[in-house]
Amino acid sequence: MPTYILGISALYHDSAAVLLRDGEVVAAVQEERFSRLKHDPALPVRAARWCLARAGITIADVAWLVFYEKPLRKFDRILSTSVATFPKSWAAFPRHMRAWLGDKLWLRGNLCEAFGVRPDRVLFCEHHLSHAASAFFPSPHRDAAILCVDGVGEWATTSLWRGRDTAIEPVAEVRFPHSLGLYYSAITAHLGFAVNEGEFKVMGMAAYGQPRFRAEMDRLLKLDDGGFSLDLDYFAWHWHPSQAASPKLEQLLGPPRYPGTPFTPRATPEGAGEAEIAASQRYADLAATAQQQIEEAMLHLARHAKAKVGTEALCVAGGVALNSVANHRVAAEGPFANLWIQPAAGDAGGALGAALWAWHSVLGNPRGPALERADLGRDTPLDRTRELLDDLGARYEDVGDDAPERAGDDLAAGKVIGWMDGRCEWGPRALGHRSILADPRRPETRDAVNVRVKYREPFRPFAPSVVAEHADEYFDIPAASREPARFMLSTGPVRESARATLGATTHVDGTARVQVVDAGTSPRYHRVISRFGAETGVPVVLNTSFNLKGEPVVSSPVDAMASFVRSGLDLLYIDNFRVERPR
Amino acid sequence: MSENYQPSKLETTLMRFGTAGALLAMLTRGGRWWMLPLVLVLLFVGVGLLFLQSIHYVAPFIYMVF
Amino acid sequence: MGVLRRMWLTVASEVSWRLPGRPQRLLAAFALAERGSMLDMLAAVEATDRRELRKKYFLHALDEGRHALVFAERVRALGQLGRAEAAIEDSGKLVEAGIVGGRTLFERLGEPEFLTFVYVAEADAVEQFRVYLDRGLPDTRTQDELRGILKEETFHVSYSRAEVDRYRKEGLPVDWWATRLRLRRLWEGWLRFSRDFGAVMSAFWLGVLYLLVMAPFRLLARLEPGGWQTPAGRPGGDPLVAARMEG
Repeated sequence: MPTYILGISALYHDSAAVLLRDGEVVAAVQEERFSRLKHDPALPVRAARWCLARAGITIADVAWLVFYEKPLRKFDRILSTSVATFPKSWAAFPRHMRAWLGDKLWLRGNLCEAFGVRPDRVLFCEHHLSHAASAFFPSPHRDAAILCVDGVGEWATTSLWRGRDTAIEPVAEVRFPHSLGLYYSAITAHLGFAVNEGEFKVMGMAAYGQPRFRAEMDRLLKLDDGGFSLDLDYFAWHWHPSQAASPKLEQLLGPPRYPGTPFTPRATPEGAGEAEIAASQRYADLAATAQQQIEEAMLHLARHAKAKVGTEALCVAGGVALNSVANHRVAAEGPFANLWIQPAAGDAGGALGAALWAWHSVLGNPRGPALERADLGRDTPLDRTRELLDDLGARYEDVGDDAPERAGDDLAAGKVIGWMDGRCEWGPRALGHRSILADPRRPETRDAVNVRVKYREPFRPFAPSVVAEHADEYFDIPAASREPARFMLSTGPVRESARATLGATTHVDGTARVQVVDAGTSPRYHRVISRFGAETGVPVVLNTSFNLKGEPVVSSPVDAMASFVRSGLDLLYIDNFRVERPR
Repeated sequence: MSENYQPSKLETTLMRFGTAGALLAMLTRGGRWWMLPLVLVLLFVGVGLLFLQSIHYVAPFIYMVF
Repeated sequence: MGVLRRMWLTVASEVSWRLPGRPQRLLAAFALAERGSMLDMLAAVEATDRRELRKKYFLHALDEGRHALVFAERVRALGQLGRAEAAIEDSGKLVEAGIVGGRTLFERLGEPEFLTFVYVAEADAVEQFRVYLDRGLPDTRTQDELRGILKEETFHVSYSRAEVDRYRKEGLPVDWWATRLRLRRLWEGWLRFSRDFGAVMSAFWLGVLYLLVMAPFRLLARLEPGGWQTPAGRPGGDPLVAARMEG
């Protein structure tokens, strides 16, 4: 009987379940893909149930359930911080204590009830150790520095580790309230976006601005002695129940942007008045400054990691590791020859890390092969899909194994298609299993995708996917970025010669968050792009996640059909079925 | 091992005592004795909160009494 | 029930639509509820054994999704949103409001009772919207939208009623279910009130506790400094024992 381990991350945002069979990932999926609530933080009961069903087992067969945090340490941090910020924390304290004393503190019991496991089968990993494990154990490296940077877990907000084979040793940590992740989130909120959701928008906005607020913002975040510290007077996350910024931040940076205000910087004024343009440009410049600070901070931390640990490889995890522009700079300018980032670098990935930590570090089992693919989530048998399409009266054709070529032809004919193939991706990026695809060459396609399908802010770029064989013709990818680019985790320059060609996927600053598609690990997606390349001479497609605004990425054929019908997509592919729009 | 293990009321209560003990143990291990009184008071409040939640459908009446 | 309910709806709508800022919040609540029922209906498409109903569930879900967008659009058009706007986008609010979360409605009720629920909820919504239309509330643009929505809700009522009638003929206690669902809705309203009331009271008492107990401890606690720190020592010994700790 193999050993099954169920990893769980939950109760903050992006909860997820991961099932290991003898250390190998059988299934990994976020709860939002089942509950259809974006960033769903609830205990991932449905995701876990699905993982067990995929493996054909029940919860009774699971040897260990591993939670990705030590809840008591987190409680200690929240309580200690409330005491240390007395009396400013008067509003936060009752709220936190009610949540903790009435519920979260008793997590062991809650886990047993929700998942049906016995209390002695439940283990707890530290938040940052979960991140570190999620970055190191799936990597091909046996000796690596590991850098975790996020908002906060228990105490650590940034941590440095050394991973050697099956052991991960702590080297140093930066503790709450000093946090790069929370800093970026505070700026995100100041720029009128939702925290834990709008960080990518800040990154997109930054490209329209100049970092001309360094004098002001360097007062907030200081790099020193290999680490960093914040001037806490400007922030409120350690004492306010809901706000990240203190009134002082507003005095320094000016009034916050009201959510939903049209963004009309100088590059794309769209007929706005001078006052609106100036205001938008100001926000773009703030975003650019914060982004530059984060990039430099990541480089600074990476250099410190090199000095302290001295390995050839660096593994990065935590929410800040999803900042693909910073990743590119660490790869291109940093001291490490190899960079490895796991596709679910944020909190969802903690479920994977916790489970792998239990398997390798607690139970002492040897390492296995590296994780090379992200399609670890939910899939649906062909006959179930066919039945659904029949029942819904869909106009479809079973194109068999020709689906990739047919899709390539459709793309070449200018169609915008929904491409749902096999198992859904692990992590926030769509990597050719739950993607909307289009011709990357014309900027009009970008607008068409935006207006007809995604309804999102026009300043957010779309990403290109390129076949590995031709990646270097179009993009300037540093050697250390090779692995991150597989999971669309690094944003680098598009070659000058290709910028005009890739009009729809090149950002205003000449960069792109490219995904390099390998024939070995993504065979069908590789075929789609190759076919498109054969027809058009450009082996690149525009790839954005298959979801409508405010909804999680689709996971089942029902989700795909509902999104297809409600959007302006021309065609939908579900595995071998090519579905046309209803008449 | 039964397939759908569900802890009984007694087991849940015992588990919670275990959690409270682990919390106190963690603080003593870290040498922060001074936090013990505070945490004890809070745990006591926590018990009250949990009790009120278990009968939350009459909570307004209970609070009227106080 | 009918006459009383209509009287209540009339009074309630007169009051609630005319308070400043209230229409936005009501419309935001409608948007949220419609989005919740879209999710419920899509879950039913996935779970049902009665394949002939799938398309109806699916079309119903698409209607609800569209209604959610219409209501959200109206909220934005009325302006001065603040929290109402955020609520539309934030799926966490769906859980908070008890609209979705945990097991799906279909799983909880099973198909016959689920359809009864759909029938009851849709019939009530039709009645509610009719009252608003009769009273000319809240404004002419929204009225136009409501009229369109009402037409689609009528389809929902008619197909679910046909199913409920069929179940009744089969001898299933659909009328008892309908009554029980209405009673449960009242009960859940009470629970929500009770929970919110309890939340306010416990926050109050915890606030009192904070002021009474925390002050002396303030002298002993300080925030962590910035920069790299040496990690706290981990307990040695059996890793399995350590892995069980602090949880």
